[in-house]
Amino acid sequence: MTRHLDNKHTSFSPGGTKHALIRPSRESHAPFSPSRTFHASFSPRGTASGSLERKRQGYVSIINSRAPEGNAVTDLFLGKSWDLMVAGVARLRVRHGQCPNSCESGYKNPSRRCPEGRHNRVTLDFCRPSGAQSVKSIPLLGLTPQAITCRRSAANQSNRVFRHIQTLLFVACLFAISLTPSIADETTNPSTSNEKPITSDDREHWSFAPVSNPNIPDVTDRTWPRTPIDNFILKRLEDANLSPSPKANRFTLIRRLTFDLTGLPPTSDEITSFANDESADAYERLVDRLLGSTSYGERWAQHWLDLARFAETDGFEHDKIRPDAWKYRDWVIDALNRDLPYDQFVRLQLAGDELAADDAWAQNATRFLLCGPDMPDINLTEERRHNFLNDMTATVGSVFLGLQIGCAQCHDHKFDPVSQLDFYRLRAYFDPIVEFQNRKTVRLFEPERIRPRKSYLMVRGDFRRQGPQVSPSFPRIANPRNDSDPDDSVIEGDKKLGPRTVLANWLTRPDNPLATRIIVNRIWQYHFGNGICRSPSDVGVMGEWPSHPELLDWLAQELPRRNWSLKSLHRLIVSSATYRQASVPTDATRNMLQKSKQQDPDNELLARFPRRRLEGEAIRDAMLAASNQLSQRRGGPGVRPPLPKELLVTLLKNQWPVTPDKEDHRRRSIYLFVRRNLRFPIFQAFDKPDMNASCPRRNTSTIAPQALTLLNSKLSLSAARALAGKLIAQAGTDPSDQVTLCYLSTLARFPTESELTTAVQFLTGQAARLRVDRRRASELAVPVGLPQNSDPFHAAALTDFCLAVFNLNEFVYID
Amino acid sequence: MTRVRKPVQNEYAIRAYRPRTFSRRNFLTSAGGGLGMIALTSMLARDGLLSKSQAAPSNVAENPLAPKQPHFDGRAKRIIYLFMHGGPSHVDLFDPKPDLIKFAGQPLPDSFGQVMTRRKVAKNPLLPPLKQFRPRGESGLEISDFLPHIAECADELCVLRSCHGDSVNHPQSVYQMNTGSILMGRPSLGSWVSYGLGSENQDMPAFVVMPDPGSGVKGGPPAWGSGYLPATFQGTTMRPGKSPILHLRPQPEISDSQQQATLDLVRRLNQRHLQERDFDDDLSARVNSYELAFRMQSAAPEVVNLSQETLETRRLYGIGEKDTDEFGTRCLLARRMIERGVRFVQLYSGDTGGWDAHRDVARNHGVYCRRTDKPVAGLLKDLKRRGLLNDTLVIWGGEFGRMPMSEQGKGRDHNPWGYSVWFAGGGVKGGMSYGATDAIGLRAAENKVHVHDLHATILHILGLGHEDLTYFHNGRDERLTDVAGQVVDEILA
Repeated sequence: MTRHLDNKHTSFSPGGTKHALIRPSRESHAPFSPSRTFHASFSPRGTASGSLERKRQGYVSIINSRAPEGNAVTDLFLGKSWDLMVAGVARLRVRHGQCPNSCESGYKNPSRRCPEGRHNRVTLDFCRPSGAQSVKSIPLLGLTPQAITCRRSAANQSNRVFRHIQTLLFVACLFAISLTPSIADETTNPSTSNEKPITSDDREHWSFAPVSNPNIPDVTDRTWPRTPIDNFILKRLEDANLSPSPKANRFTLIRRLTFDLTGLPPTSDEITSFANDESADAYERLVDRLLGSTSYGERWAQHWLDLARFAETDGFEHDKIRPDAWKYRDWVIDALNRDLPYDQFVRLQLAGDELAADDAWAQNATRFLLCGPDMPDINLTEERRHNFLNDMTATVGSVFLGLQIGCAQCHDHKFDPVSQLDFYRLRAYFDPIVEFQNRKTVRLFEPERIRPRKSYLMVRGDFRRQGPQVSPSFPRIANPRNDSDPDDSVIEGDKKLGPRTVLANWLTRPDNPLATRIIVNRIWQYHFGNGICRSPSDVGVMGEWPSHPELLDWLAQELPRRNWSLKSLHRLIVSSATYRQASVPTDATRNMLQKSKQQDPDNELLARFPRRRLEGEAIRDAMLAASNQLSQRRGGPGVRPPLPKELLVTLLKNQWPVTPDKEDHRRRSIYLFVRRNLRFPIFQAFDKPDMNASCPRRNTSTIAPQALTLLNSKLSLSAARALAGKLIAQAGTDPSDQVTLCYLSTLARFPTESELTTAVQFLTGQAARLRVDRRRASELAVPVGLPQNSDPFHAAALTDFCLAVFNLNEFVYID
Repeated sequence: MTRVRKPVQNEYAIRAYRPRTFSRRNFLTSAGGGLGMIALTSMLARDGLLSKSQAAPSNVAENPLAPKQPHFDGRAKRIIYLFMHGGPSHVDLFDPKPDLIKFAGQPLPDSFGQVMTRRKVAKNPLLPPLKQFRPRGESGLEISDFLPHIAECADELCVLRSCHGDSVNHPQSVYQMNTGSILMGRPSLGSWVSYGLGSENQDMPAFVVMPDPGSGVKGGPPAWGSGYLPATFQGTTMRPGKSPILHLRPQPEISDSQQQATLDLVRRLNQRHLQERDFDDDLSARVNSYELAFRMQSAAPEVVNLSQETLETRRLYGIGEKDTDEFGTRCLLARRMIERGVRFVQLYSGDTGGWDAHRDVARNHGVYCRRTDKPVAGLLKDLKRRGLLNDTLVIWGGEFGRMPMSEQGKGRDHNPWGYSVWFAGGGVKGGMSYGATDAIGLRAAENKVHVHDLHATILHILGLGHEDLTYFHNGRDERLTDVAGQVVDEILA
């Protein structure tokens, strides 16, 4: 049973030693090139003694027998390099920079990282003991950064031929470790005294550094910017000799904006009135109307629920229903609609019970802590507790701090300056508050029932191996001023603040560099499809570098200045000229866009608005809304519309009792029941995350089941029939009018002449085809509410047309 | 003898595919479901929509389900995984324990120390094997009378008798056997294999799951989920009959010719939309996925159409007999799928209860062995005579085994501490057993094989290094085997 663990312990464990050996730090390289550096510090331990010499001989012989000829690694243990290493400090350095070869993928732009990671330069630098200046640098071509991070265990390797070049590097690491035996002791028995301190190098990483107060850049084209955001964007475009795209037309804008802010398509009335609105502030008023609608909260809550991995069941075997879980979903919707300031939004979710013990609304917020999967049936409560709390801690770290601190539950983080102690100190805030009763859904203790509980580091993340005791404290890297922890009894007024309140207050200090950058980056991402930093929940050294660091900092300053109002931040962003750009090339912009595509294939510089696909929820809601079927009911327990029987058999019996009231089946997607063991089919096909882990950014895969779902599901056909019925009821019997209204309801624009011709031809042809088939009207997919005496074949053809429109690229993408 | 791995030419091929962000560059890595770039380029080129340079197949390798080279020469190309859900009893099927007969009725000797069990059965009397074991075939591998047909194939089987996992609970163990972790939401073995090797058939999913028609497994669909891997690699459930894949067929009101006309309209309008947008990669990929869906509509029913099989073949699988018809049909479908290039087929035997014989092993296993014995043997014989067994690995096993102690008199509780899983085909030695449990089958004792080791071995048989098959996720190169796993070299032929 303990083999798994034994294996970890008896082997040369990378968990213990390598991170101690290889610590991240940052140095300045080529100014354009974000870089990551890993140092292997080879401690100077005097000159080559007898035992050192023996080691050297050993490594040299291994290398001589294995290394490809002429590889620079062979130099490592030979001649002068060796002396340098023993006498000074040798460093392994990875530069994510210019690809030294002409990389096959066509990335020749020196400011870009090699997309495949294979041409990143790995060098072995030899430095003077004093500083960063390299004495000698040996490039190790063909080595990837992974080579350094490889978790290869020596035990596994012992009976094998060393076959990879990275193994040689690994030998180098082994050697370094052999020089510093103390490191090994340190990690098998972690204690506060030998916790690796945070260095100033660590603090220099962009996301850990204090938020700067950047000047708004001056740009050549002063007419384009509408907001300071645009100056930051335009500056980089101009530097790259690119120009922004012209403003999108009104039809595009209202569709983009309405989906973005409310998750729904605009109605035909809304489209025509905006298109005809001559006033100067038509756009601004549209923004205000959308931000004021309750649909706004229903849209943006889903983004947050993805982060919170919200579901209404426990997961695992019985996947039992959590009867009150929906209250958290409703709270998020409500809080966003009320524009609850973000600092309070965070505070209530982490410490609503402490802050407002009598306020049910605030208590619902704190259900955030209970959103994760749980295994109430497991035999060992300690195991259950451990898994639950670790997941909670990791989620808090990634959601609010953008750090993958979950990596530090078994060992110190390999790349980021987060120690295992940091992880368990953060967990200590939550240790005493969660109540686990056998076979019952997990819940929080009522505040008066919370008793102090000792917290411990768990060695290797194993719930059976208690390490040293820890007390609650903030992760050190995010706490440069060394703010006091709750043991110091922070007093506000006459009241002692609860520990989680202190944590939440610290998290939402305007000068907390991580928390502010993380949230503004997330908001930006939901508007533009990508964040300014494209790894929104990993801003550590392995994360992406921001494309516009100054803009990110400016926004991070701006949010607290705007009293943490998210709606105000939305307004700022969507008002920008950047956001209003077209995504479709015109004859005037085609050449520039071709150029920008080559220079900037991922559109980081935003020379056009990034087109993007709608989420499964928005696609379903749009089908229901376009066909006038969408129910206006809000809130309450999750709704279960019927499922295809093929899916029901993959569940345990009675796990999907269908909600009796059929109107509920047509409610917005956010109100559909979220079962951890089964995603609703259209959501599953369109990349809804499985809610077992926090999801900062959804995939947008393109797979055949999406086509099958949109073509063949009951959902699609019944929406097509309802839409066709609406067209007949509102546009009458003229096919051109029907098609025009269909275009407005689904694509938010008028059809072109040629589209109209194509559509009418289709209707005529399809009706004729159906007539030839001689099916009875009852066997056809006729529109809902079809008037008596109508031609059923023509009507069924209209249903087919609507179904076709739901399947168009234009329907599922926003320009 | 341990086979020395060849130096790896394309060791970065897998790593190179690390979509940090699903943006333009990765459009095809995410353009899943299997349609190759070849098809798209040929389609567009045919329509005169691509210039020559664009039509060059430079992006072919980017289709995530295009067949990929393994890290080194593998022994097998594909897998059929027969998952006996609920936990079949190793001490009654594949792991003979004479001492269990000798000490039957007595409590577990103190020397075995504390045993963690699901239902507190540690102090219960030992229950002897319920059927006689006999040496079978030329090898003399011992198999019990529960499985007379599989016993005929003894010389093909390699029984790993020392497997062990980490949880006494069903869902945790189902997850671990499928994903390596007892927690939910990690990518499954089938997803990893599809990710590593792609598919040989671009009209079918790479990873097909055929659940038991009774009801779901404990833990549900996450057992074949793709976790943090792209959705392209998730298991697609298929079933016999008219609609083998969810939403494969139009609703009854829509005829095939009618749908064809609708699709033509979609294609025309999409083409115009695409043209105005300079053939945006994501949009092209989506046009593409409709072509695949269309091809799947004919490919999938063809696969599940058994009328092409001879009566003799169907009988071999027990099709047409009351007990074996259902599982026999799925076993035959599995063969037809791998013949057509599906990479990984997983069959579940056992509904929610399945092989979970708490109360009466003889009765429960009597039923499930009767249902599966002949079909499984039929599958092995059929694969062998068609030459498919050489490069197809067949895996048989549950999420754990069962305790030597009794429960409620004639039943047995879960046992993750020691149990049997067998391999057949795929360059694995036949007619052998590897490793051993202790004297009564309680714990793995000799040459222990943890689930991670099992996974490492399976990947190795396919030519994938379990330490090299990685996916960058949340700042870490994730693996199926986490930080463990050791290939069991001794069983490789």
